[in-house]
Amino acid sequence: MIEVKEPKKKIPVVGLISGMLTVSKYIFKKPVTVQYPEQKPELPDRFRFRIFLKLDDCVGCTLCEQVCPNHSINMQKVDRENPRNKRKIYPDVNFGTCTVCRNCQEICPTEAIYLDKEFETARTRNSFTYSPEELALKENEVIK
Amino acid sequence: MVMPSSDWVELNFGPQHPSMHGVLRLKAKLDGEIVKEIEPVIGYLHRNAEKICEMTYFNDNLIYFDRMDYVGAMNMEVGYLEAAEKLLDISISERVKWIRVIMAELSRIAAHLVWAGAYGLDLGMLTPFFHCFIEREKILTIFTEVSGSRQEVNYMCVGGVYQDITEKAINEIEDFVREFPKRLKDIFNMLMKNDIFLSRTKGIGILDKETAISYGVTGPMLRASGVEYDVRKAEPYLVYDQVNFDIPVSYKGDNLARVLVRFEEMRQSLKIVEQAVKKIPDGPYFNPKAKKSLMIRMRGEGDVYARTESSKGEFGVYIVGDGGVKPYRVRVRSPTLRNLSVLPELAKDVMIADMIAISGTLDLVFGEIDR
Amino acid sequence: MNILLRLQELFSPLGHLASYILAYIFESLFLVIFVTISLIVMIYVFRKYMARVQQRIGPNRVGKFGLLQLIADALKLVGKENILPKNRDDLPYKLAPAMVFVSLVLAFTILPYGDFFYLGSFTVTHSEVTIILLFGIIAIMPIGEVLAGISSANKYALLGALRAVAKDVSFEIPMMLSVLAIVMMASARTPSSLSLESIISSEFLPYGILEPIGLFVFFISMVARASYTPFDLGESDSELVSGHSTEYSGMRFGMFYMGMFGSIFLGSLIVSILYLGGPSGPLESSLGFIWLIIKAAILVLISFTVWLSMPRIRIDKFINFGWKYLIPIAMINLILAGIITLGWGL
Repeated sequence: MIEVKEPKKKIPVVGLISGMLTVSKYIFKKPVTVQYPEQKPELPDRFRFRIFLKLDDCVGCTLCEQVCPNHSINMQKVDRENPRNKRKIYPDVNFGTCTVCRNCQEICPTEAIYLDKEFETARTRNSFTYSPEELALKENEVIK
Repeated sequence: MVMPSSDWVELNFGPQHPSMHGVLRLKAKLDGEIVKEIEPVIGYLHRNAEKICEMTYFNDNLIYFDRMDYVGAMNMEVGYLEAAEKLLDISISERVKWIRVIMAELSRIAAHLVWAGAYGLDLGMLTPFFHCFIEREKILTIFTEVSGSRQEVNYMCVGGVYQDITEKAINEIEDFVREFPKRLKDIFNMLMKNDIFLSRTKGIGILDKETAISYGVTGPMLRASGVEYDVRKAEPYLVYDQVNFDIPVSYKGDNLARVLVRFEEMRQSLKIVEQAVKKIPDGPYFNPKAKKSLMIRMRGEGDVYARTESSKGEFGVYIVGDGGVKPYRVRVRSPTLRNLSVLPELAKDVMIADMIAISGTLDLVFGEIDR
Repeated sequence: MNILLRLQELFSPLGHLASYILAYIFESLFLVIFVTISLIVMIYVFRKYMARVQQRIGPNRVGKFGLLQLIADALKLVGKENILPKNRDDLPYKLAPAMVFVSLVLAFTILPYGDFFYLGSFTVTHSEVTIILLFGIIAIMPIGEVLAGISSANKYALLGALRAVAKDVSFEIPMMLSVLAIVMMASARTPSSLSLESIISSEFLPYGILEPIGLFVFFISMVARASYTPFDLGESDSELVSGHSTEYSGMRFGMFYMGMFGSIFLGSLIVSILYLGGPSGPLESSLGFIWLIIKAAILVLISFTVWLSMPRIRIDKFINFGWKYLIPIAMINLILAGIITLGWGL
């Protein structure tokens, strides 16, 4: 328990001037902003944004669909030979509602669905939903 | 000359107004420059979070709690997990407790920094805002380092945390603890040495002890009114009983007291983080009982209420489980809603400028009020 | 020899009257260009200064180091649709921004600028009563703000206008009182004590040194007149959205914006002319213009620092401050000035 103290009374203008000096001393410090498109920010190792899918590893267990809090993940039928995925269903992701909670990555038993650092997903598009095949591709390879 | 109440001008402040944090709408009745009556109107950010929580799994609910007090998300997660883990009967290791304390306190600093910057803007000061956000960005970088996201972190989960805290993150926290006080002092000086700032805050919006208690005001606002109450001390959760810190109190109850209490809280939080980083023990970061595919199979029965001290005040979560995988009912006691409810009492017969200055000290975050 | 006479010489084949009219027109044009360029430079410097104080970089996209940013902004404002409120009072609504801007430019025509190397001075108005003219024109600007607030049929704007009136009344009297002190002191040494030029040329020390209290009062009045942060009561953005300019858009808003920055520059120029010796400097007299600009630039930077580091004062506190402190201080200053004048006269 400590009682906070009010600042001491001073001669009026002195405080104003010292406040002005505190403000203006930062003019000699370096700017902290990053010039984004030219200069990429240094992202921490664990930074994650886009969801990727390894089609060969996916077993179609629908756990990611169940755990997704926003129902951004839906299972789609994909005609693809994969002995581990008998039902031939794979998740698609609607990035319009995805909150990047990473629950799908946590729950996936085969580590087929995972998130990675790629975050520049802005482009002209018709839909925010990535089909399973598109989820398997790198961002610059996906064409909408 | 006293104007009859029929001649009062009715003016809407908000929901789109530069100084209404988020989407508060204040219906004010003005007699010239004097605010005669004021009625807060809320609900513009209502997202039905409590109802949605009944439709998702216990563990998934965390993302909705992140979005309640979005400036200090870790505190909300701690609050929810205190209740959920009690209900689901899942214990957490000592290491997890310490990690959660570190994150909650960093989050408290981040939330108070947003408030300090925005309060400067409320009073017309441009510069402290940027300095606050520069420091906040460092905290958010630490959050990214441990969790992968900046603001809506979703770092904690039932039974622990998703990813263990790294050595790099601990180094970053230590750097932050070392460098932050310098900037905090500068921000503090920018505000407190300024006579105009003092004249705008001192003796304005006095909230006395009885009114504060009767309205259910908690957090820094209550402590600024002279009630020495903090859930971290009164009913320690996690490991708050093992760290050494003080809770700042002021007996003035005016704007300045609230400002000072929040600044002192930042210093105390820093003290807690400093100790916690040194004391953090080894151990598992996850209770295997709650791991992986069990995330959607945890069942809880009964009802639980848990309270924690968020950056805004006492944050309570009440969960009822009917034995299913999803909660039967989730109810949140939002501290900011109670703090807002005292505004009509405070902003009576004050100037418009004071009304803004008072509503700034309430530290309103609308994700939490409207839910 | 000043620019006006040089221009008149140039046009002298056209006859006496025509050459003077042409010379005045060209010189006024020159002055408008000077005001525009100095505004652009000032807004650029302000944005860069604000950015550096807040550890940002500031404008750096348009042109080298963002030098063309303001031109781009001005083009954007010109290109924008002018949204007019439905219940406006049409004529005052449209007149108000022009009033603010035109009176600003007019005020610049009255100041004595000092010599600039062989070109000479480009002072436009040569009159015996420039001080009265100057403060007469300065008094027009707040009327524009009040008109804007009342005519745009918006409660925020109306409150802004009411505040602007209350503010103007409380700072203009101390401002004039402190100017009166200067005129009084100058009258002991020069017969034409209402002319800015003779006030400057007759001083043996800058008036700011002789009467620091007057400098203080006058500087505060100039801050209040330009209405930036400690005293931006008329358009306090966190209380009244944007005060009197709430309903304005496009270039009309741009005029208010430039009016504010212009007022800062104008205020700095007036303070440096009246109190800091204006164009007179330690070196040869042909550098007068440069000295004036340097003094004004320092004052502008101080103004920016004030702007960036202070919160807004409450309206009743400001009126209290104006009537209970500034006016008595200005009166004391007047008495002191009288004493100094007596001593000076001896």
